[in-house]
Amino acid sequence: MGVEPLFFWIFAIGAIVTSLSVVVVRNPLYCALALVVDFFFFAGLYVLLSAHFLAVVQVLVYGGAIMVLFLFIIMLLNLRGDELGQMRFQLHTALAITAGVVLFFIAGGAILSATAPMDGEPPVEGTLVVQDDGSEVRVQEVRTSIPGLYLALDEQTLEEKYLEQIASWERGTSRPSDGKYPRFNPERTFEVPPSMQFDPEAASVVPGRSGLYGTFQPISALLVNRFVVPFELTALLLLAAIIGAVIIAKRRVT
Amino acid sequence: MSWEPTLAHYLILSAAVFTIGMVGVLVRRNAIILFMSIELMLNSVNLSFIAFARYRVDLDGHIFAFFIMAVAAAEAAVALAIVLHVFRHKRGIEVDEMQELKH
Repeated sequence: MGVEPLFFWIFAIGAIVTSLSVVVVRNPLYCALALVVDFFFFAGLYVLLSAHFLAVVQVLVYGGAIMVLFLFIIMLLNLRGDELGQMRFQLHTALAITAGVVLFFIAGGAILSATAPMDGEPPVEGTLVVQDDGSEVRVQEVRTSIPGLYLALDEQTLEEKYLEQIASWERGTSRPSDGKYPRFNPERTFEVPPSMQFDPEAASVVPGRSGLYGTFQPISALLVNRFVVPFELTALLLLAAIIGAVIIAKRRVT
Repeated sequence: MSWEPTLAHYLILSAAVFTIGMVGVLVRRNAIILFMSIELMLNSVNLSFIAFARYRVDLDGHIFAFFIMAVAAAEAAVALAIVLHVFRHKRGIEVDEMQELKH
């Protein structure tokens, strides 16, 4: 067993504990600090899910920009003790917590029943499966009843499957929908910036192609091809948000 | 459930954080903490998008999460401007006291 499960449990428990403290702690400043830590735990989870680009964006946008906004507002308003959120126990608090628990159990039940392993496939618990001759084999992928959805998929198999997909899109043999996927060519060399790979023989870092899935090359290829209209609309949205924030926060609009 | 993380682990974690954020929105009355709880919910949705993307070997979920982050940044800027504006008029940001649209 690698260290990945260990990191998953650290990040998962940390994320839940810090989320709870955001909701429970009275002082908004401590809430904001707990939220920063929570965002970093989420970034760690994204790395575990091979979403390298999004992990970086998470740290930059959430841990940087949004947290600065929150802390700035909290310190600007200089909230006094009597204005801090009080956790008085009331009927609606109890009702809200009950609703939350019920929602969690409904969602959890739905998730567990939807991701149950398909009949005849090895169960998730048996990621190490004993074969007929007594040797143990690690199961790389466990399928669900939903086509194309795996329950367990290790890093290497993920890369292989992603390369297979790209190759089939390149050949044009697999086309889920016309124009859905960009013609992303992993063999094409990128001048700037090359991803770095460690060469054990030369004992140095050389330009090369490391992990593909979730790195910014395929994501940027998607963003400027298939999702170019929403991408440009995002720029418009951010412009509107800038203007709106300035106009709302101004004392007097002249 | 096994010790090694699978799709179900990530989804249940996402559901837990979403629930915590929802309870925060319902229970707290400080507008800033309300927005923090909304950020928690957006983050948990991002996590389930990315988990589904990884276990489907498809990058579309990453694009969705990317756009959610952009929308969350815009929303946070406007929402905190509103909080600032409300604070100037009411000298407080308790959501119970925000009952009228005019100022």
